[in-house]
Amino acid sequence: MLNYIWIGLIVVGIFVAVGNDINDEVRATYRNGSVLEGTVEITRRPTALRETWEGELFIPASSFNAFYGSQRTAGDVRQRITVNTGADGLRSVLMPVGDSTPAWWRAMAKASASREHLTGTVVAFQPVEGSGSAAIRFVLEPVRFVKTRAVTQAALDYAGIAVTIALGLIGIMALWLGVMKVADEAGLLHVLTRALAPVTRRIFPDVPPDHPAVGAMIMNIAANMLGLSNAATPMGLKAMEELNKLNPKVGTATNAMVTFLAINTGGLILIPATAIAVRAAAGSANPGIIIGTSIVGAGAATIAGVLASKLLQRLPRYKKAMEVSHE
Amino acid sequence: MSDFFRAAISVISLVAIPLVLLVFLGWGLFKKVKVYEVFVEGAKDGFNVAIRIIPYLVAMLAAIGIFRASGALELLISLLTPITSLIGMPPETLPMALMRPLSGSGSLGIMTELMNVHGPDSLIGIMASTMYGSSETTFYVLAVYFGAVGVKNTRHAVPTGLIADLAGMLAAVWIVNLLF
Repeated sequence: MLNYIWIGLIVVGIFVAVGNDINDEVRATYRNGSVLEGTVEITRRPTALRETWEGELFIPASSFNAFYGSQRTAGDVRQRITVNTGADGLRSVLMPVGDSTPAWWRAMAKASASREHLTGTVVAFQPVEGSGSAAIRFVLEPVRFVKTRAVTQAALDYAGIAVTIALGLIGIMALWLGVMKVADEAGLLHVLTRALAPVTRRIFPDVPPDHPAVGAMIMNIAANMLGLSNAATPMGLKAMEELNKLNPKVGTATNAMVTFLAINTGGLILIPATAIAVRAAAGSANPGIIIGTSIVGAGAATIAGVLASKLLQRLPRYKKAMEVSHE
Repeated sequence: MSDFFRAAISVISLVAIPLVLLVFLGWGLFKKVKVYEVFVEGAKDGFNVAIRIIPYLVAMLAAIGIFRASGALELLISLLTPITSLIGMPPETLPMALMRPLSGSGSLGIMTELMNVHGPDSLIGIMASTMYGSSETTFYVLAVYFGAVGVKNTRHAVPTGLIADLAGMLAAVWIVNLLF
């Protein structure tokens, strides 16, 4: 199943990206090659050394939106602009993208070669005598394959993020595995597992109630419920290692592993601290109001997950995957 | 009542880790375990586990990244909107429900934006934050946990996780519509 979902995400992602790009091209979403008009308030005039104008480009919101054929900006466009003259006498524009740049242009710049500038060629540049401004008509560099580029970038970025996340786990993993080892040697996990044996025996019938895996699972679930995700992950991974010692077919998930994961992905947590913090930051009158509703939601997810794991493990195709061949 | 519950839980969360460290290591000392040596012995594994996860996490996150960047989610949303309105789910919260199992940071971003646009105490704001609290990032958990023990054949883990997510989202829609 994971095979299909994994390849599905990739194939669908790439096809949709290419489809979106073709759609943009057909509908001319970025108006590649069309002439845009505006006025420039000149702040710096050319000198003998550099034939360059600098100033602020002004395009009224109505004409900007009309040009792109859709509601692309709410306010008038005011954008820093530089007009350079090349050795061949042709003029080009360079616009550094900043916070005052319309979001539409920022997105276009992201797909360009430089990522931080929009560039283009000037069709006409006519300083108005004695007014400090100039009329400009220019064509921006064509923008193409925006989504294809984004997909490429995302694949590379996320591969890096994965490594960052994994390396970030080293420290807390080491800390908690150390503590768990001490607790194990001291027999403390035994005390814990014996106390909860009536519950764990029902949920994990394949795991002996006094096995170290049970202790680690209990610690993991308790840490999750308290919202201590830094402690929960190392304990969960420790539990997985212990469960793997009971695995007759290493490399394949056991029933107990899937049930344990169902409890983890259900994410039962007594105080959803992140959601509450975001609500408070957004100015909620009662940020904690979602505690009860979240417990209902996560409780339903956990119960459904445990039941689903118990039912699905009986399906012939999943039973077969667990059979060990004796050859 | 809710305030008392909240205060109690946050105190427990605050003292839980120091308390666990104290009790576990203290008990070890009491049982004459060579605490320092045993701790170091156990901690050694931390590096190996983290390194073992990397290929699984790279595979999973790269696929999710491609899917997110392509705009496929927007397409899926336009296909699913007629169904969600039948069950009383505001279409604005659909991206939240679809993103929640895929990406923690992605769903956090969607939740924040929904609250800024519609207000945290609106039905949409409450539903989005309830959905965020109603599930974990299923695919991340799968990659990390199975990666740590080198499980490649996940058997029924993915359908189980998705059923749990679906149940969590439906329960969130139901309870929020009931109470607010």
